[in-house]
Amino acid sequence: MKKKRPEYRDLFPGALELMILKSLSWRPMHGYALAQRLTDISEDYLQIEEGSLYPALQRMLKAGWLETEMGLSARNRPVRIFKVTEAGRKHLEQELASVEKMFAGVTRVLALAGQ
Amino acid sequence: MCLLKQLFTRRRRYDELSESIREHLEEKVADLMDQGVTREDAERTARRKFGNLTQIEERSRAIWQWPTLESILADVKYAIRQMRKAPGFSAVVVIILALGIGANTTVFSIVDAVMLRPLPFAQPQRLVEVKGSEEQHFESSDVSYPDFFDWRARARSFEHLLSYHDIAETLTGVNRPLRLDGEVVSWEMVPTLGISPALGRGFSAEDEKRGSRVILISHAFWKTQFSEDRSVLGRSISLGGNPYTIIGVMPAGFRFPVTQPNNSFWTTLAVDSDATDIRPLTVNRSVHFLTVIGKLKPGVTITQADQEMKALAASLAKQYPDTNTRHNSAWVQSELASVLGDTSTLLLVVLGAVTLVLLIACGNIANLLLARVHERYREIAMRSALGAARSRIVRQLLAESLLLGLIGGIAGCVLAFISTPAVLRLIGDSVPRAADAGVDLPMLGFALGVSLLSGVVFGIVPALTASKTDLVSTLKEGGYSDTPSHDWLRSSVVVGQIALGIVLTVGAGLLISSFVRLTRLDEGFISDHLLTFTFELPDSTYKDTRPQFYQQYFEKLRALPGVQSAAGVHNLPMTDDLAMIGFENPEHPVPKGRQPNADLTFISTDYFRTLQVPQLRGRDFTDADNMQAPQVMIINEAFAKRYFPGEDALGKKLRPGATNGMPGGPPLREIVGVVGNTRHFGTQREMPPAMYLPVGQLPNWCCLRSVVRTSVDPMSLEPAVLKLVSSMDSNLPVTQVRTMDDLFSLQLAQPRFAMILLGTFAGLALLLTVIGLYGVMAYSVSRRTREIGVRLALGAQRSAVMRMVLHDAAVLLLIGIAIGVAASVASASVLKTTLYGVDPHDPFVLTVVCISVTLTGFLAAYIPSIRAASIDPMKALRSE
Repeated sequence: MKKKRPEYRDLFPGALELMILKSLSWRPMHGYALAQRLTDISEDYLQIEEGSLYPALQRMLKAGWLETEMGLSARNRPVRIFKVTEAGRKHLEQELASVEKMFAGVTRVLALAGQ
Repeated sequence: MCLLKQLFTRRRRYDELSESIREHLEEKVADLMDQGVTREDAERTARRKFGNLTQIEERSRAIWQWPTLESILADVKYAIRQMRKAPGFSAVVVIILALGIGANTTVFSIVDAVMLRPLPFAQPQRLVEVKGSEEQHFESSDVSYPDFFDWRARARSFEHLLSYHDIAETLTGVNRPLRLDGEVVSWEMVPTLGISPALGRGFSAEDEKRGSRVILISHAFWKTQFSEDRSVLGRSISLGGNPYTIIGVMPAGFRFPVTQPNNSFWTTLAVDSDATDIRPLTVNRSVHFLTVIGKLKPGVTITQADQEMKALAASLAKQYPDTNTRHNSAWVQSELASVLGDTSTLLLVVLGAVTLVLLIACGNIANLLLARVHERYREIAMRSALGAARSRIVRQLLAESLLLGLIGGIAGCVLAFISTPAVLRLIGDSVPRAADAGVDLPMLGFALGVSLLSGVVFGIVPALTASKTDLVSTLKEGGYSDTPSHDWLRSSVVVGQIALGIVLTVGAGLLISSFVRLTRLDEGFISDHLLTFTFELPDSTYKDTRPQFYQQYFEKLRALPGVQSAAGVHNLPMTDDLAMIGFENPEHPVPKGRQPNADLTFISTDYFRTLQVPQLRGRDFTDADNMQAPQVMIINEAFAKRYFPGEDALGKKLRPGATNGMPGGPPLREIVGVVGNTRHFGTQREMPPAMYLPVGQLPNWCCLRSVVRTSVDPMSLEPAVLKLVSSMDSNLPVTQVRTMDDLFSLQLAQPRFAMILLGTFAGLALLLTVIGLYGVMAYSVSRRTREIGVRLALGAQRSAVMRMVLHDAAVLLLIGIAIGVAASVASASVLKTTLYGVDPHDPFVLTVVCISVTLTGFLAAYIPSIRAASIDPMKALRSE
């Protein structure tokens, strides 16, 4: 079995990417802001080292779901902002749909199991 | 493509990544400082929260990379750096490898061309050769026309059967008469070989009928003689005074037989059914001179065909006991095997030898690498201390040896490219199809494969050894730890090299001594100052006037300045011409089919004097031995010994089966002379019985080859001879102008090239072995400097130190030699067919080889032993 990296416990495969895509499609952000946002929204579900975002971000850049552009941080410093591309948006929609389907399935199965 | 783009944009990606991470940390630090943390603490916390910065950056970068390829590239880069760091070492390795791989590639390209390539015909795997043979003796023989016709009509295993034999004809009606080589074939040539004419049609069954004269011509002949004129079809050309109609042109590259690349034309066996002959060849069951190729029906195996043909030959022997008793069996083998004959053994021996050379070379390099591993222990230990896995180190070291292998391979290809033409010149015509060898894809593929393979062979042991490095002790001892197991390894490599070197040198020694014996053999005549050449007197002009022409011609020839004597002979020694014929001894009659055979040739007067064959008894032929005189013959010593043991052969009468137009068949001939034996082929193992008949008593037989004993350089007579012949008839091209020494040398081409190649390889192997031994001893001395220093400091004699080193070398040598001798004795029998007059286990050769290997081995160990003895104990002890 593959050893799970300690700093990256995924809820399900692709969860981190999904969260990144969802967050960034709400608002393009730079790395630090994204890390803070993820910590805020996931709280205890997702304990990540901030750095572990970066390999994921690179993967998504390579897949063409994200792109970068220069922008300003909350402190008015020039920073690289990550933005969701059209392809990324499509991917997000697909993934959300399949996640919803999965949850629906799980709910149904659990409901049936209780009867 | 985007891969390329990715490579270029990657640098920018990496920069952006680092920037992003830096920005991230700065923001975080700023946030933390806003909360009142000191800058120092804020930075520390930010980094801790971020995680392992280097690792994360590396992993993020890795997204953009092709991980395996990149790390291999890194290995290669590192390997190149390592090579640059040790240019001398790398150069030595590359040179050794280039020699090994170059030799292998050269030999392989020849083996590929000769043995591996299919014959250039359609479905070559279905082509077989069918030979006649005698059941008891397994000696194969050529086939007679009537037998061939019966086979063709009755055999069920074949789609087609094709008979052929060589012919040479003079093309006249052109500016300069031209001697052309060709082939007389049965009509099925095109369907059997599956190669259609590029122009025109193939033969049909009607073309075999008596009186038909049609030919197919070669593409080369079409090009040179007819400038590729397409209207050549239907045109008539004159060959040997007879008109032939061109019905087709074979495609360029068509060669049949494959061993006769110069054939210009193919005609049908109609030429052999000439009604003007007393008994045309096509109806003469006792003249065996055809080669037969069969195309097996699909699904028929060679064994099945062999069985059918054996049964068929046996039934023909019952039907025609007079002629076929000695041809009561047959023999089918694949056509490729028959083309190759004995040469495949020879080539495999050479290939084996050259493989051993490469193996020895790999051994040397492995030892060099093992020595270097010692020097690199610290580096390797450092790498594994920094977290390199064992597999990673093995891969790194293997990358280095593969790179060396590749560079050696490239250098080897260059070497092969240069040496192949030289080797081909050496081989000449002695190996069929060898001339096709050259730089091509299979050869380059082979070189690449061998390079990588040898890279692994010489790299794997050092790499595994190195990766087993014990970290702690190596680093603690500063990399100077002694690991005796590696000495053991290096020593066994050297022992193996010595053993292989012995095997090769013994093989070469056997071939050399066999060759020396061949050249020193008594041919039975004196071969220097002899010029030979030939021209044909075509039946169309000379059918009745041949004897007169010859008489005039030899008179004029003998009168040329520089000519001591001259004669004509049908089957000259050292040419491949040979005829055997049965004879009858009225004193000891045997049933007709069981008559004994002997070599037969017919000669002019003065033949024995010209070749200086000793006249042992009786007389030579004279001009008086003509058709009107009593019929006579001369025999050689071997003939007299075998058929007249303890008797006087002179005056005995025999009836050789040579018809000469006299009524009542072949005449009874009186033996008037006994001459010394002559060797007919350069590699003939024994002197066979032979009969000589006077040409004056065989007026219808054609033709004589001229042989001239000269008092000057034989070749200097060539112009005078050509002038003489053309002055007598300008339509007689003279061909095959050669000295007897050249003919002899051609005969020995195959044993010579085997000897030279194997000798070269053995020399190379011995050199590499000695270098290897020297390397091991020198290295062991340098590693034991301290130990030797201590010994000397404690009072050891310098001579004792020397003896110690020499003793070590002697142990390696003796073990290697013992193994090598055992292996040679076990394997030498593969050389049996290529050896003449030498036993494969010749003790003389074995002894000489062992002594010379021992001596050179000691020489190689002597230098390190001197160095060991001259170690200064003080310096040695201080140096570490």
